[in-house]
Amino acid sequence: MAKMKFLCDSERCIECNGCVTACKNANETEWGIQRRRVVTLDDGEPTETSISVACMHCTDAPCMAVCPTDCFYQTDDGIVLHDKDLCIGCGYCLFACPFGAPQFPTEGAFGERGKMDKCTFCAGGPEEDPIVEKEKYGANRIKEGKLPLCAEMCSTKALLAGDAQVVSDIFRERVVYRGHKDGAWSSLEGGAATPGQMSQEEMAARAEAFATDATFASNTKGDIIAKA
Amino acid sequence: MNTYTTQTGSTLRGARSTGISPVQRLKMVAISLLALLCLTLSSTLWASTEASDAENRVKGNFAGAGYWREVSDGTEGYTTSKGREHGKLINVSGETWRDWRNRWVSPGGLYAIGGSLGLLTLVYLLIGPLKLDKPRTGKVVERWKRFDRTMHWFVAITFLILGFSGFLIMYGKHFVPDLFGYTFWKNLIAFCKLAHNYIGPIFSLGLIVMLISWMKHNFFNKVDLKWFLQGGGIIGNKHPSAGFLNGGEKGWYWLLFFGGLTVVGSGLVLDFPIFGQLRDTMQWANLIHGVSSLLLLAASFGHIYIGTIGSEGALEGMKTGYVDETWAKQHHDLWYEEVKDQAVDEKEVR
Amino acid sequence: MKLTKKTATGAGKTDSKGLGLSRRTFLKNTGITTGGLAAAGFMGNGMIRKAEAKTEAISPNAPKEVKRTICSHCSVGCGVYAEVQNGVWTYQEPAFDHPFNRGAHCAKGASLREHGHGERRLKYPMKLVNGKWQKVSWETAIDEIGDKMQQIRAESGPDSVYWLGSAKHNNEQAYLFRKFAAHWGTNNVDHQARICHSTTVAGVANTWGYGAMTNSFNDMHNCKSVILIGSNPSEAHPVAMQHILLAKERNKAQIIVVDPRFTRTAAKANEYVRIRPGTDVAYVWGLLWHIFENGWEDKEFIRQRVYGMDEVRAEVAKWTPAEVENVTGVGEAQMRKVAKMLATNRPGSVVWCMGGTQHTTGNNNTRAYCILMLALGNMGVSGGGANIFRGHDNVQGATDLGVLSHTLPGYYGLSGGAWKHWAGVWGVDLEWLKGRFDPAQYRGKQPMNNAGIPVSRWVDGVLENKDKIDQKDNIRAMVYWGHAVNSQTRGVEMKKAMEKLDMMVIVDPYPTHAAVMHDRKDGVYLLPACTQFETYGSVTASNRSIQWRDQVIEPLFESKTDHEIMYRFAKKLGFADQLFKNIKVEGNIPVIEDITREFNSGMWTIGYTAQSPERLKAHQQNWHTFDFDTLKADGGPANGDFYGMPWPCWGTPEMKHPGTPLLYDTSKPVAEGGLNFRARFGVERDGVSLLAEDSYPVGADIKDGHPEFTDKLLKQLGWWDDLTAEEKKAAEGKNWKTDLSGGIQRVAIKHGCAPFGNAKARAVVWTFPDKVPLHREPLYTPRRDLLSKYATWKDVESHYRLPTLYESIQKQDFSKEYPIILTSGRLVEYEGGGEETRSNPWLAELQQEMFAEINPYDANNLNVRDGADIWVEGAEGGRIKVKAMVTRRVDRGVVFIPFHFGGKFQGKDLTDKYPQGSAPYVVGEAANTATTYGYDSVTQMQETKVTLCKVTPA
Repeated sequence: MAKMKFLCDSERCIECNGCVTACKNANETEWGIQRRRVVTLDDGEPTETSISVACMHCTDAPCMAVCPTDCFYQTDDGIVLHDKDLCIGCGYCLFACPFGAPQFPTEGAFGERGKMDKCTFCAGGPEEDPIVEKEKYGANRIKEGKLPLCAEMCSTKALLAGDAQVVSDIFRERVVYRGHKDGAWSSLEGGAATPGQMSQEEMAARAEAFATDATFASNTKGDIIAKA
Repeated sequence: MNTYTTQTGSTLRGARSTGISPVQRLKMVAISLLALLCLTLSSTLWASTEASDAENRVKGNFAGAGYWREVSDGTEGYTTSKGREHGKLINVSGETWRDWRNRWVSPGGLYAIGGSLGLLTLVYLLIGPLKLDKPRTGKVVERWKRFDRTMHWFVAITFLILGFSGFLIMYGKHFVPDLFGYTFWKNLIAFCKLAHNYIGPIFSLGLIVMLISWMKHNFFNKVDLKWFLQGGGIIGNKHPSAGFLNGGEKGWYWLLFFGGLTVVGSGLVLDFPIFGQLRDTMQWANLIHGVSSLLLLAASFGHIYIGTIGSEGALEGMKTGYVDETWAKQHHDLWYEEVKDQAVDEKEVR
Repeated sequence: MKLTKKTATGAGKTDSKGLGLSRRTFLKNTGITTGGLAAAGFMGNGMIRKAEAKTEAISPNAPKEVKRTICSHCSVGCGVYAEVQNGVWTYQEPAFDHPFNRGAHCAKGASLREHGHGERRLKYPMKLVNGKWQKVSWETAIDEIGDKMQQIRAESGPDSVYWLGSAKHNNEQAYLFRKFAAHWGTNNVDHQARICHSTTVAGVANTWGYGAMTNSFNDMHNCKSVILIGSNPSEAHPVAMQHILLAKERNKAQIIVVDPRFTRTAAKANEYVRIRPGTDVAYVWGLLWHIFENGWEDKEFIRQRVYGMDEVRAEVAKWTPAEVENVTGVGEAQMRKVAKMLATNRPGSVVWCMGGTQHTTGNNNTRAYCILMLALGNMGVSGGGANIFRGHDNVQGATDLGVLSHTLPGYYGLSGGAWKHWAGVWGVDLEWLKGRFDPAQYRGKQPMNNAGIPVSRWVDGVLENKDKIDQKDNIRAMVYWGHAVNSQTRGVEMKKAMEKLDMMVIVDPYPTHAAVMHDRKDGVYLLPACTQFETYGSVTASNRSIQWRDQVIEPLFESKTDHEIMYRFAKKLGFADQLFKNIKVEGNIPVIEDITREFNSGMWTIGYTAQSPERLKAHQQNWHTFDFDTLKADGGPANGDFYGMPWPCWGTPEMKHPGTPLLYDTSKPVAEGGLNFRARFGVERDGVSLLAEDSYPVGADIKDGHPEFTDKLLKQLGWWDDLTAEEKKAAEGKNWKTDLSGGIQRVAIKHGCAPFGNAKARAVVWTFPDKVPLHREPLYTPRRDLLSKYATWKDVESHYRLPTLYESIQKQDFSKEYPIILTSGRLVEYEGGGEETRSNPWLAELQQEMFAEINPYDANNLNVRDGADIWVEGAEGGRIKVKAMVTRRVDRGVVFIPFHFGGKFQGKDLTDKYPQGSAPYVVGEAANTATTYGYDSVTQMQETKVTLCKVTPA
């Protein structure tokens, strides 16, 4: 069974925010709710690195573990979804989430936060009626055999989404390309880690490690999207 | 060893579909709690393995070496997202909080509550309720004014609602949906959260007013020391002397004072996330709130027991404001000496 | 009926920021308000229907129509699948099969579908009456405006009405706009290319023939090195980064970023070089110093294909490492390193954008970059080239089609011959056309043949003493047709100019900053135009590929397409019959394909002739058949064509020329897209031949340089009889540019020769103020010590009809009071003046505040904290109140401001001045309120990249 995961290749991410607005486009979340964001570390320094982040659909998801109402569930594809009817807006998932993915429409007195909203991997939510589903959770592209719009539209194909295996294969291929002695593994050379001394094997192993937890459906589009 | 985590981690839907009965579930929880207890000693080892698992989980989602080192320090970056703390790529303390909450506070609270209930059951079964030594005189003295009683019941009722709703917020998901179904659970938990969040501040007010107005009765003195030395009457066969309030009651007061204020303080931090509290603050507040409120809840059972079925005649004082002379003499002899002139016939006041 | 602020579309106003307002609530409000207004009876019923249609939830299962369109936010030309249900644009799907972007988008492209909502659009024609916006009908608006224009024409001549066009027109509209201005009788017509890449077009065209990107984004996969100077594709052309990073990863290309600012692109580079703003020529000469010193130049290439390199060599010799470091701030080691990287990684490409062009010395900069590539032999090869990334989606097309004050479509210029050529194509009487213009002479020049006032200078056209302008009177009416005035410098003076005008007409989907920045009480008209998603037509990407767009949705609200508005104006102004002689008009709407065919029949100079609507549509329908690296179709209906038939696509459509993917690439026959440098500057100079030596495209019958083709040359070569009888008739007395039959081009290509001749590129341009590009200090320079050596030009009495100042400004020392260099640039979320993108909530949410980047060193010295309000005051006194962003992106002594904001002026919020419901979600100080004087000596490009400022805490 496929396990869906995101993987953001920071060597490619240029902080163009395409993923952020693609998400808006697909899910029409209200002003103030950004299911995806791009974070740039060391902004303006030689080691500057950007990365796109949203719900990573963890296998052992902390949000699920702490939710008092048990509103989360994981699909067979490993996508972590939640039931907004059950959500009471307590904020626990936000406290636990490693990525700051859960967001709330408001932050009012008496803990009035409204229903939590987060990335659904464009897989909608627990509603039968497609109109209601779209209204409440946003797009259900997975149902149509498509992948999340953020990854599909990534300007440099930095953000990959799909079956963990496919994603990791693509990424490994890139690493091998870059692994050349004169390769373009620039942020490594920039001093973020031991420059240029990584062997091809080490890189491949690392690539694999990146994708171990990354989990993706055998979606034919996965290839198209990330090929590059 | 992951049984417990897995259970909490499993989903509503998942749980329903796997068809584990509530009893089995409770059993599993119990077993894992026991196992956990056994592991207390090796907890350090445990925590470190777990942390590295968590680390791998997070790390596994990024490409780009060296990145992890930086983000795992919680370094703040630039982002166009206006969400609070969105510049922080990794919520470093989230995993620790989850661990503390789910591994320690949650089961610990069950122990405390279970222990308290168990102990009281034992006391009830082995010792039984405390009866009045002598027959009632039919004359009563005033112990609690209307204001005191109103305050007490106000605090008591809100406390119970908060305790009940809080308990369900902490543990409800493990058994309510399975026992009563999705719709019931959905409405119940939504109500619990609303009740908890709105009644919390009201309770806080009541508690503070109560604590202030009763403080004068609650300073310890030599009598209380003797009272404690005699274990409130358990050691030796003579009932220890006591003033308006005995040592035990004063103990409860101060427990309520410190514990209650802690619960209230941390609760308010959680309830009003409008002052820019960051996740770290909320995590601390949540842990403190959980520990203190669970302890208070466990302790409150003792108070409730003694105030109701545990001690004949005690409830009357809070119900009507008056207690029988016999009760007064037996439990608060020194106070009785002060007020016995004011004794009136029971019929006049009831 | 009067629309007052209190009663009109409340949905927009009360929650002008849209904060916390969900899209659904929004729609609901819009719906309700619409209903209310409809009851009041002053809303076009078209709008009501649409607004209601939008509020209805459309089931994902409703039937879908898939439209193929092109993103309108930059010149990369990304393909988009727009899915439409019940007339509403409901989904946007990535076009994985599109050869440019393969589905990828930046923030703007990924939010394209929001154009289908357009809540903040200008919804109906409005005019300003007593300081209040009043709704008027289209008919009234056109009538009133037309009458006023005729009055001005009668009093002051046709040159007193200025037609400011747009890079947001599609090709057909752009062409029609230029033609429209010609029929009105003025050359006072221009568009944003003037302030974007005019110096590129001038510099590059004067070096090797054509002023455009020579290769393509896709071809950059083959680069071994890429040097980006003053270009930040990560923010300005993000999808180009896909191609650049591919080169970096697959081809091990060395990426070098030269920029005063550490950009997102710099973060991905192998080498980042920080130069002082405005020292590009010095930097390039510094590189060439090492290249010549080490003999790294491509000597054979220079011998065969470059003229005048020795003169450059003499200038470069002055740029010793020490001098380069003194001027640019870059040390010898890094200069040598970069020179070596370029020399040892060939082919390499140079990329530049506004950082290079928007300078008083812009033409020198662009030529210097070209010379660098020529010296390295990087021209005319795959993986090499001058890859000039254009800005707006159709700025290339609008430039090609001549929405410019100095030329007619196709760079024919304004000479008598050019007018004759186009009058012929248009089928109008040349004498009638002449009669439309002011016949008087000013400083010996007749307005018809004298370049009009450029967009960068319209302010001076209004304010300057009219005796000093080469036309009858000042500009009295401005038509801003798809233009963001806040993208122009000298905002404070612009406000004055606006207030002096008789009339302002703004034709745009949004009210724009121009609607609010002035304090006029009347004489302003707003006409709602459509976006490119409400019409169809062709658009030219930066790589010269022409793409066809489908119409996605019907015009929103009461907006109309540009070509319809032009038709209505032409009808009112009385020249519709002449203007649309060859173009069918259905109702009030000219037929797009007819316009395409008309320009096809006249654009011989740059090969815009063979891209017929039919061929363009075939390409559009077969995106998937074009190769991602070469852009060549392998099989399918367009077999052998290059995607979008990048111009020059020679001859007639029937000739089936595939387009030219790489300019000047001699490795392919001309018939298959090969080319050589153009013979544009004569055949010899000072006795030295300007023609190529031993270099010619594969398969050419003339195995050497040759002049451009004319009827005479054909006869001389004995090829005349290759023409058909009909072609002979048309070609007699004509050349490759003016032969309307295309016969001369056909025969030349049949013999493997480029119609425009085969010459050398020239490293010296003897017609420019600086023959060899020289470093000249900016007008507002902090380095007074360098002025003795690198002073600017003398003032010019008349350039593009206006006095233009250089020396008299540079003479004054502003550096004491204004010690910090002020430079400006892009944000990825916004485009241009930003009115459109700031009205898109998905984008606006990401950049809610105008800011200024300042180095921590300066910030600490000035006691400015990150996030604090500061005043940035330009050297001419314009001040903007912005948020400080303390960052090392900029160097000490440099402040960077993004130029997309508007709707605030010198600390004053102008939100209330927008017509109800049409204020953008985000307003901010316009960067150019603080920018200063300074114009390129060849093209009148404005200086936005170097001036001086002071920063004070607010």
